Amino acid sequence: MNDQWPRYEVFKQERDGGPFRNVGSVHAPDAEMALLNARDVFARRPACRCLWVVPAAAIVATPIVVNAAGDAEPDDVSGPLEPYAVCGKSSERQAMTYVDYLGRVEARSAAEALRAAPALGAARIWWVFPERVISRSDPEDAPGLEAATGKLFRMSNQYHTVVTMQKIRRGDEGEE
Amino acid sequence: MADEAYKGQVAAFEARIARGEKIEPGDWMPDAYRKQLIRMISQHAHSEVVGMLPEGVWITRAPNLRRKMVLLAKVQDEAGHGQYLYHAAETLGVGRDEMIAALLDGRAKYASVFNYPTLGWADVAAIGWLVDGAAIMNQTMLAHCSYGPYSRAMVRICAEEGFHKKQGQEMIIRYAAGTATQRAMAQEAIDRWWWPALMMFGPHDSASSNTPQLVRWGIKTKTNDQLRQEFIDDMVPALQTLGLSVPDPEMRYDAATGHWAGREIDWDEFWRVIQGDGPMNASRLDARRQAHEDGRWVREAAAAYGEKQPGSGSAGEQGRKESLLPPCAPAPLHPSESTT
Repeated sequence: MNDQWPRYEVFKQERDGGPFRNVGSVHAPDAEMALLNARDVFARRPACRCLWVVPAAAIVATPIVVNAAGDAEPDDVSGPLEPYAVCGKSSERQAMTYVDYLGRVEARSAAEALRAAPALGAARIWWVFPERVISRSDPEDAPGLEAATGKLFRMSNQYHTVVTMQKIRRGDEGEE
Repeated sequence: MADEAYKGQVAAFEARIARGEKIEPGDWMPDAYRKQLIRMISQHAHSEVVGMLPEGVWITRAPNLRRKMVLLAKVQDEAGHGQYLYHAAETLGVGRDEMIAALLDGRAKYASVFNYPTLGWADVAAIGWLVDGAAIMNQTMLAHCSYGPYSRAMVRICAEEGFHKKQGQEMIIRYAAGTATQRAMAQEAIDRWWWPALMMFGPHDSASSNTPQLVRWGIKTKTNDQLRQEFIDDMVPALQTLGLSVPDPEMRYDAATGHWAGREIDWDEFWRVIQGDGPMNASRLDARRQAHEDGRWVREAAAAYGEKQPGSGSAGEQGRKESLLPPCAPAPLHPSESTT
């Protein structure tokens, strides 16, 4: 049953100007299908303005895993100077340690990008990858990404069960 | 020497957890931590996926369009939650295909509550309030767990489960204030789902061999029985407020402890259903296998289309894969662990 396809990491921007935040991953045979799957899985709530998908195989993570040979660095293969995306956490603590896109550095390799990344300032740098591997949702896709905000019955704040229970306890009318 | 180094790694790892830091994929972790998480997260993912089935059969019989849209959205959420969780498990080095194969061939476990049948419409309401309510208690705890990807998935899932619980509670409130038939329908559903909901919290603490280590590593912060007691203390008075009851004649408030206490769970039934001998185990797995087979042509078509896309190699990028470490490579096993 080897049909699971490559993994793509998904970044979501909820509103204009908000951060691109890693929300999870999907499997897909190509970037276009990855974007469609990402919409189905991650755009349901609370809001979604834009999605990115990034092939997981193009991502270099830190801390670098020490391999069997004891090498602590990724192969420092030098390519053309190009923008690398840097992702990290603003805090190491608490439950809400999201991983956001922090910005870009110019580098010739992932290792060089990792060395340059701390300049962007974060509690923890997590991922780097060349920006050219990002596939972005098209502005024309926006109506398809509005599913969450358009269906209020999917939001828990549309249900007033707490207040209703309080009223019933006090002997008031139970219906909202 | 190697043992000393290993102990040092474990001490540093446990110190990070004690400081409230999240452990992330690629960080060093004891192999037992990885294995426990893979077990828990994959079981949780399977539960979400199988959990679509009991309520899914009621979509076409919803009493009105609003209830139908709500139920459709809820079942769609469960599918999404399964995806979030398979992702979180994958970051520990296990393949999605391995996990799904384990579910389909019956090796994997999932929440036993979904092996009970939904016999009436109000079961949808009772599942929402009781089963999703119980799940929220467990998941709120797990949102604080020490493993980053699991914690983040839980934060998202909890926000969505709030809707699941409240739509069910809203229905029970209405039916309890409705006609005699509606009240009876609600009570019957509560009677059917009360015990399975209590069983969702897992075995009694004395029979839960995993719990002490899970608590120590910040994966769980409360025991099964602590969470179960919180649920009982929350639900019994709420149901009484609505003129409903739980199917337990011994349920009493103990002023000395401040807790509600009733009969012991039928643990024989609990273990029987876990081992595969519940009313709906075979039916649930048949439905999953059927869905997997029915989707085969879609997967094949998508794969064929993907292969035709320019530049869409096996990893969606050209020639760089060999030179980069995978982001989620499992840490090498400690020599003493790899032999066992």
